Amino acid sequence: MYPHDDHQTNQPILDVQHLSFRYNGRFALEDITFHLHESERVAVVGPNGAGKSTLFKAVSGVLPPTTGEVNIFGSRPRGHVCIAYIPQRSQVDWNFPVNVADVVMMGRSAKLGPLNWPHKKDWDYVHHALETVELSDLAMYPINQLSGGQQQRMFIARALAQEAELMLMDEPLNGLDTPSQEGILSLLDQLKKENVTVMVATHDLEQAANHFDRIMLLNHRIIAFGNPDKVLQTDNLLRAYGGRLRSASGDNVLTADDCCDDGEYEHSH
Amino acid sequence: MTIRLSMKRVIFLLLIIATACNPSVSSNPQTDTVILTSTTFLADITRSIAGERLLVNSLLPVGTDPHSYQPVPQDVAKIEQSKLLIINGAEYEHFLESLLENAGGERETIEASAGLRLRTDAESEHGVDPHLWLDPNNVIAYVENIREGLTHFDTDGAAIYKSNADAYIMQLKDLDVWINEQVAQIPSERRLLVTNHEALGYFAERYGFTVVGTVIESFSSDASPSAQQIAALVDQIKSSGAPAIFLDASDNPALARQIADETGVAVIIDLHLESLTDGPPAATYIDMMKHNVTQIMNALR
Amino acid sequence: MIAATMGNMSTVINFLLQPLSYEFMQRGMMAAILVGIVCAVVGTYVVLRGMAFFGDALAHTILPGIALGYLVSGGAREPLFWWALGTAIAAALGIGAISKNAEIKEDTAIGIIFAGMFALGIALISTVRSYAVDLSHFLFGDVLSVSSQSLWLILLFGGLVLLTIFAFYKEFTTLSFDPVLAVTLRLPVGPLNNLLLTLIAVTVAVSLQTVGVALMVAMLVTPAATAYLLTHRLSKMMILAAIFASLSGVIGLYLSYYLSIASGAAIVLTATMFFMIAFAWKKFRGI
Repeated sequence: MYPHDDHQTNQPILDVQHLSFRYNGRFALEDITFHLHESERVAVVGPNGAGKSTLFKAVSGVLPPTTGEVNIFGSRPRGHVCIAYIPQRSQVDWNFPVNVADVVMMGRSAKLGPLNWPHKKDWDYVHHALETVELSDLAMYPINQLSGGQQQRMFIARALAQEAELMLMDEPLNGLDTPSQEGILSLLDQLKKENVTVMVATHDLEQAANHFDRIMLLNHRIIAFGNPDKVLQTDNLLRAYGGRLRSASGDNVLTADDCCDDGEYEHSH
Repeated sequence: MTIRLSMKRVIFLLLIIATACNPSVSSNPQTDTVILTSTTFLADITRSIAGERLLVNSLLPVGTDPHSYQPVPQDVAKIEQSKLLIINGAEYEHFLESLLENAGGERETIEASAGLRLRTDAESEHGVDPHLWLDPNNVIAYVENIREGLTHFDTDGAAIYKSNADAYIMQLKDLDVWINEQVAQIPSERRLLVTNHEALGYFAERYGFTVVGTVIESFSSDASPSAQQIAALVDQIKSSGAPAIFLDASDNPALARQIADETGVAVIIDLHLESLTDGPPAATYIDMMKHNVTQIMNALR
Repeated sequence: MIAATMGNMSTVINFLLQPLSYEFMQRGMMAAILVGIVCAVVGTYVVLRGMAFFGDALAHTILPGIALGYLVSGGAREPLFWWALGTAIAAALGIGAISKNAEIKEDTAIGIIFAGMFALGIALISTVRSYAVDLSHFLFGDVLSVSSQSLWLILLFGGLVLLTIFAFYKEFTTLSFDPVLAVTLRLPVGPLNNLLLTLIAVTVAVSLQTVGVALMVAMLVTPAATAYLLTHRLSKMMILAAIFASLSGVIGLYLSYYLSIASGAAIVLTATMFFMIAFAWKKFRGI
């Protein structure tokens, strides 16, 4: 078992104070302050290059912040194994020779520790996770045979096997057809029941409004954070998206223009 | 005004330094390497004839293997400065070919083995065997060739060269007698030689040895044997009962040790066949031959 | 007719057994098989992580270390293993450190070091005037000169590498598939990466005498790449790679014996042929 911190139970699950992240002279994130309560569902919305992935990586302890603090249940992220970062599907090597069950079992690596092979208990976690996301039939499939929606659900299963209490999902709905998106969103309902706190980066403002408790509008800084109706005001949106909003056929539906990719600071390997 | 004087001084100093460091600006022609031999044993033989009259140096340093020698740029300079070049001949000095192309100047060349009958390998195209010097009787012919060449180069010394050469030939004849005495002590069925490459052909012919095989099937050490060749040698050693493998000090013993492990024979690693040594045991050609024969004796008797 | 078949059989058996009647061939064959297995297992990670260039650079970078050992020990083979091992580990960790400080582009930096060290090695070796044959052994292997002691070293260190990979199999796999996951799981990513680099270094030192510096990358990459074409499971990929590598070693040595060609090259050519067959087969099946 790799060493990790205990949870202090009277702390918010996630508390971010004045977080900044500088890279190559630019501020990817500037003075971010917010906190989350257990089993909250938060949508993080903003244009490409706004720092959503950076925020998730700082919260999960992958990137050390330039200034500021991140506390998970009262202590630094590096001490916790209960945080799952679910990557953008485009960043994954889908030709890696593993099957679905292998990937889900990877989530157990921290619990297993070195020189240990999976026990029955671990397989139980894996099977339960696969059932929850409805991928049990595909457990033995190589990952290059999965559809986009299945890939996403596999990563959620991995996070469940990890016994994650905080899940950060980086644009999980991108490129999925509507039924698949609905599938993922109803999974999020399920996760709420299991007391999992979830932050999801998304471009779809309507989905954000309908399926999430709070919305964070992010463009290097927090433009607004709160209930959907409060946050999704026009002036907020303009500040977040600049000129990149489109009105769809005259009615009051605004969608974000995500065609032009600024690119985040990191490059894929 | 002051600045100009300083510049003059600097240039003056630089000229002095340049002249002092330039090796070709030397007043005494006798200190130049005028006579160059390819190898150390040729240098020794030549000195025995030239005596004090001429300075003789070897191009190759002590301990190098001429077969696989890779020349360096300084070697070209040495050849350029020489007026007389003494080589073994019989295609021994492969490394000299490119050097001679590049070196300017003129010089005479003496081929020490001129006129001698050469061993060839009729079965394969391995060329000729250059190792004539390992039979002292051949070296008598070497001495004659070198004496003639030195006399031609420096006619004033003709008489000295003649008397030196005659004295040295006496020593070579004594050496031949001595070797015969030594060899007579080895039972004939044990007069079996296994060497790194085909170096002892002339020696074997003269003194009644059989060359059972060689690690490298070549008159040169500059090659790697194939697996089948090694296998064949192992078989030959086993079937002939050869007691030892003989290597020159400059040979890599790894392969010979492999074969020795498998066949149970001894490995002698300190023959000096292609070069003298600095000091004992092979400081002169005659010492070199005595050392080699003693080693062979000890292994085979 | 039975007699004829039996006759043919015994010719074939003779053909196979004849080289093995020599101890040096037995040792060479065992070395080739052991080295093949270790290179294949480690090479699986090399292929999946895109580290072929690193592997090639590492093999070339150790030449000055070998050269020093060669000069100091006067041609004996056994000490060279330790010189190669030490230099390889230092080089692997060094190149790994450079890859993290990306002031210059990573492959440029590695390329500069690789070529410079290789040249240094050749320069050192060439101070021995009769260096050509030995240099060719360092570059292309010298499997016919594997002594019993060398074989024990190969077995010992090769075995250590395999055991370590077995012990840290899931950590290395997780790290290779999803480094970010590894960090969020708080796996000791830095030490694990360095451990993998060290394992590659030990593999290079162990394989040196069999294939030499110039052909090392082929043993790391080709059998694993062949296996990658044929399976979707990592564990099977390692096993298949090991099988291809061992077969390449054995067949390569037989080829080298009967055709009198350099053994290191024969092994690599055989491995490459397996790859091409697998590639063609896959295309043909339209998988």
